[in-house]
Amino acid sequence: MPDFMLTSSFYITAVIPNDRLNFVFLRFSGTMMKTFAYLVFIFIAVIMLATMPECTPEACFEETNAFVKASFYDSGSDTQLTPDSLTLYGTGMDTLKIYDADAGVKPALLPLDASESGCSFVIMINGVTDTLTFLYTSYPHLISKECGYTFYHNIEDLYYTENTIDHIYISKRNITTVNEENIRIFY
Amino acid sequence: MRRISAYSISLLVLISAGSVLAQDTIDFPLKIKAGIDIAGPAIYIADRNNFNAEAFISFDKNEKISYTLEGGYLDYRFSQYNYDYLTRGVFFRAGTDFNLLRPEVSKGSYWAGIGLRYGLSVFNTETPFLEHENYWGTATSAISKKTSTGHFFEVTPGVRTEVFRNFSIGWTVRLRFLISGGGGKDLRPIYFPGYGQGGKMVNAGINYYLTWNIPFRKIRVITRPEESEEPEDEEEFPEGTRQEGF
Repeated sequence: MPDFMLTSSFYITAVIPNDRLNFVFLRFSGTMMKTFAYLVFIFIAVIMLATMPECTPEACFEETNAFVKASFYDSGSDTQLTPDSLTLYGTGMDTLKIYDADAGVKPALLPLDASESGCSFVIMINGVTDTLTFLYTSYPHLISKECGYTFYHNIEDLYYTENTIDHIYISKRNITTVNEENIRIFY
Repeated sequence: MRRISAYSISLLVLISAGSVLAQDTIDFPLKIKAGIDIAGPAIYIADRNNFNAEAFISFDKNEKISYTLEGGYLDYRFSQYNYDYLTRGVFFRAGTDFNLLRPEVSKGSYWAGIGLRYGLSVFNTETPFLEHENYWGTATSAISKKTSTGHFFEVTPGVRTEVFRNFSIGWTVRLRFLISGGGGKDLRPIYFPGYGQGGKMVNAGINYYLTWNIPFRKIRVITRPEESEEPEDEEEFPEGTRQEGF
């Protein structure tokens, strides 16, 4: 290959790319270089495709709330039994109900207050009212660059009245965004 | 007996002389190269929240292989509606570059090939503000500065060419694979020096280098071996040469 051809070909590679790799040009001359040039071009094309979503506005598509996931069980038979009617709201938040006489709730999702070390809920199972009080610690957890942070919790204690609730079993104390059961409410 | 020996020695000398005459060789300069990246400062002009400066030094082992050390510094800030994030630190990469050009094409002035790197990053991260909204309202908090260590691996194809005597330009694409980002499972770094977005297992990047080359030795490289009918085990090459280029 003549020297000037190789030199001029390499000069063409001297294109300053921008921060999203949009303006990287590649051109080689001579049969000797073509295979390598194609390989590099394909490599760059793959990278450009892989990084393209970053050019669009960033959006959060992940679950950002860590709920206490509660399942309901029949205390007599120890089998899962979804209430016919479930009402749930935070103490002092009766105008903002999480569930309002809802049927078929499975599991119930209870949001904890990350600003406090404890919070209480009023729970009405099939028309009978009880109160749940959680004591916990909270810590930040990064979901993603797009979504930012959420708070995870560790349950330290759980108090409840026993009007219709027989007992509550804590199956997993760590409250995260992962879809796994945390408590079993036997009634 | 003495005559037979003399003829034999003469024949061997003739054969070996013929072999040398049949080969093509070039003198290939081995170099120490030192380069700085200009892509980082160029990106900083467009994005004042992302300052990356880096440089490398490499040492040619032979006409194909060189050993490379790279180092750099990153100061990165990111802010959106629910958090602010800062990271600052240094990174080092060590690895090997493989020149895929034939020695007679490369001549020590051109490089087109691929490199492999191991990367180590030591950095501070801080989240001065974060907020999270749920049923109970908005909770705000902050995460104080902490030091972390990240590890990653890179595949780096690229090209470089000598535009003036002992001065090269060229780019390197970087495909990075995360080994460990530090920070534990809850506070993974959003971005860290040398690697980029800590939430991704694979990242891409690019550098554009201005390089100063310092020749330190020449080796004789055989670019076309002799086309001999002799058995291969009788071929010998001088020290510091290679049988054939790519």
